[in-house]
Amino acid sequence: MAEVAREQDPTPMRVGAKTLVRVENVVKHFPAGLGQSVKAVDGVSFEIVEGETLGLVGESGCGKSTLARLVTQLLPVTSGKIFINDVEVTKLRGERLRQQRRQMQMIFQDPFASLDPRMTIGDIIAEPLVNFGVMRGRKRSDRVQELLKIVGLNPNFNNRYPHEFSGGQRQRIGIARALALNPKLVVCDEAISALDVSIQAQIVNLLEDLQREFKLTYLFIAHDLSVVRHISDRVMVMYLGKIVEVADSAGIYTNPKHPYTKALLSAIPVPDPRIQRGKRLVELSGEIPSPLNPPSGCRFHTRCPIAHVPTPCAEIEPPLEEKLRGHLAACHFSQDV
Amino acid sequence: MATPILQVKDLHTEFLTDGGVVKAVDGVSFDLYPGESIGIVGESGSGKSITALSILRLVPDPGRVVSGQVLFHDQDLLQISGEEIREIRGRDIAMIFQDPQSSLNPVLRTGFQIDEAMLAHDKATKKEAHLRTIELLRRVRIPAPETRVKDFPHQLSGGMRQRAMIAMGLANAPSILIADEPTTALDVTVQAQILELLGDLNRDLGTAIVMITHNMGVVAGLCTRVLVMYAGEIVEQGPVEQIFENPQHPYTWSLLRSIPRVDALRHERLRSIEGLAPDLLHPPTGCRFHPRCPFRIEKCYTDEPRLQEVAPGQQAACWVTMERARKEMDADNLVDIRPGAGSGLHKGELTE
Repeated sequence: MAEVAREQDPTPMRVGAKTLVRVENVVKHFPAGLGQSVKAVDGVSFEIVEGETLGLVGESGCGKSTLARLVTQLLPVTSGKIFINDVEVTKLRGERLRQQRRQMQMIFQDPFASLDPRMTIGDIIAEPLVNFGVMRGRKRSDRVQELLKIVGLNPNFNNRYPHEFSGGQRQRIGIARALALNPKLVVCDEAISALDVSIQAQIVNLLEDLQREFKLTYLFIAHDLSVVRHISDRVMVMYLGKIVEVADSAGIYTNPKHPYTKALLSAIPVPDPRIQRGKRLVELSGEIPSPLNPPSGCRFHTRCPIAHVPTPCAEIEPPLEEKLRGHLAACHFSQDV
Repeated sequence: MATPILQVKDLHTEFLTDGGVVKAVDGVSFDLYPGESIGIVGESGSGKSITALSILRLVPDPGRVVSGQVLFHDQDLLQISGEEIREIRGRDIAMIFQDPQSSLNPVLRTGFQIDEAMLAHDKATKKEAHLRTIELLRRVRIPAPETRVKDFPHQLSGGMRQRAMIAMGLANAPSILIADEPTTALDVTVQAQILELLGDLNRDLGTAIVMITHNMGVVAGLCTRVLVMYAGEIVEQGPVEQIFENPQHPYTWSLLRSIPRVDALRHERLRSIEGLAPDLLHPPTGCRFHPRCPFRIEKCYTDEPRLQEVAPGQQAACWVTMERARKEMDADNLVDIRPGAGSGLHKGELTE
């Protein structure tokens, strides 16, 4: 390593496209008593350019949902900055932050918990419009009907209640609500994980159509790497509060540069008996360490099949740096992956 | 051919609800051979879990098995006494569930619960049971089993709890292990380890496995034969390679095309199955899949198809089958994969 390693932001894939979201060295620690803290997100930087879908994957507890809540400012950061459209949202409070929220909406995992059972779906979808005083009376109800139609539901369903709908239909309602204010950024946090396979495909196709139509930018979080590969332009992999790899989705799947990404990919069952039987599993030793007290150096070194312990892997934290064009990884030995 | 170890014949399980009778399992038949690993796949509400629960007479209220036979060693598990079925559960046929958290007693030590599985069937003395538990935990690759036996379930991670459940299932060396979505709640890396473990057990110990899952990838890796269920019925069954490469039922065909693949070479629009799973209180007439089927013909609305041989060892319940759909209906191009299909986009423009 002749060059001095330095922290680098992932290169946006679309040259010339405008950066919509810029996350700079964001940290989120949750107090856990006894002077300890859960280091849920621990120094993360990345960008999302307008119109792209950035996929975010990682196992439970890696910090991906916390990161989603930081980007949408549903949680305050411990330190670091987040810019949306060049506005530093981490600095905003009160009404100015509220106004910024119009641009960023979220679709949640559980279509049963995320809709108020006592509101009609018309009221649920109109709520963002009411909150921001956008459109009134007839115009507002027309807009609700239009949104229902856009997400593939019958516009006359607006007087019905959530319990009358299936999981997939509820997720469509959640999407209609998220679109009501014409947001720029939509954060999908495990938005299809709770749905049946045949319904997942419907929702994925719908999200892709809506993106094309309304020039939406997605941060798409999921633990299902196959769906993430399908929908994303670029994919970011997290492990224990850190980004370990970012690349365009073909690059990350065909040529992973971090041993964790490689292990994660080898673990996905492929629906093809001939391939699946012959596959070799990259076995990870042990369990994911506690985010209360993450391992020294590279956080992955305790489970890494190619770690050089103690030095450098247990001592020096590898920076997230460009290994190939537009392909960043945080590993001392990425050439051996 | 060997004789089946388990035969399920025309199983019907119903739930009596306020709205009427739900036929959750409606005439399911299959054979399981010794040492075989079969997968039962389907979406929620297809009846795959209820089929498994019916085998061991564990169907929760208000459900009950109304007819059919479950033959195990020449006895019908549905007819024997409560005492006798309890002897078989856990000894000859073990079952593991999706959520190891709720299957383990939180106030008892994990090791003790595995000991109990043996003691309940008088398979061992307390001391023997304890030693065997440690050996079982080692077999399911729990590190430091001597100390882990003393842990309470909450002290184990999700993956370890599922391993402990599998160890409990294996305690009496059952000839059949029924696994109901055993990896659905787990992370992919842990899932892969558990699946590998189940595969080893199947190979090394000859334990026959019935794997219930919605994940086609899981079936592809572990099973030799697959049953596809839809709305309480088996719509297709056969050897796993044949089902994946040449599915004949439009539901199987569509399901396989609706899953994105991690090894995909290029981005293709997913072929979704339009519409919703049927309401089992009022199942569709004729073929239950016909309202969602792109290849339905007139007969499908009225006559219910039966499973019939479509290739050696492969059966499908369809009047049309994919072979004809391809030849006569241009199946590969018929399914609507135009952008905007399934949404209202081609009609309305979004306005400010």
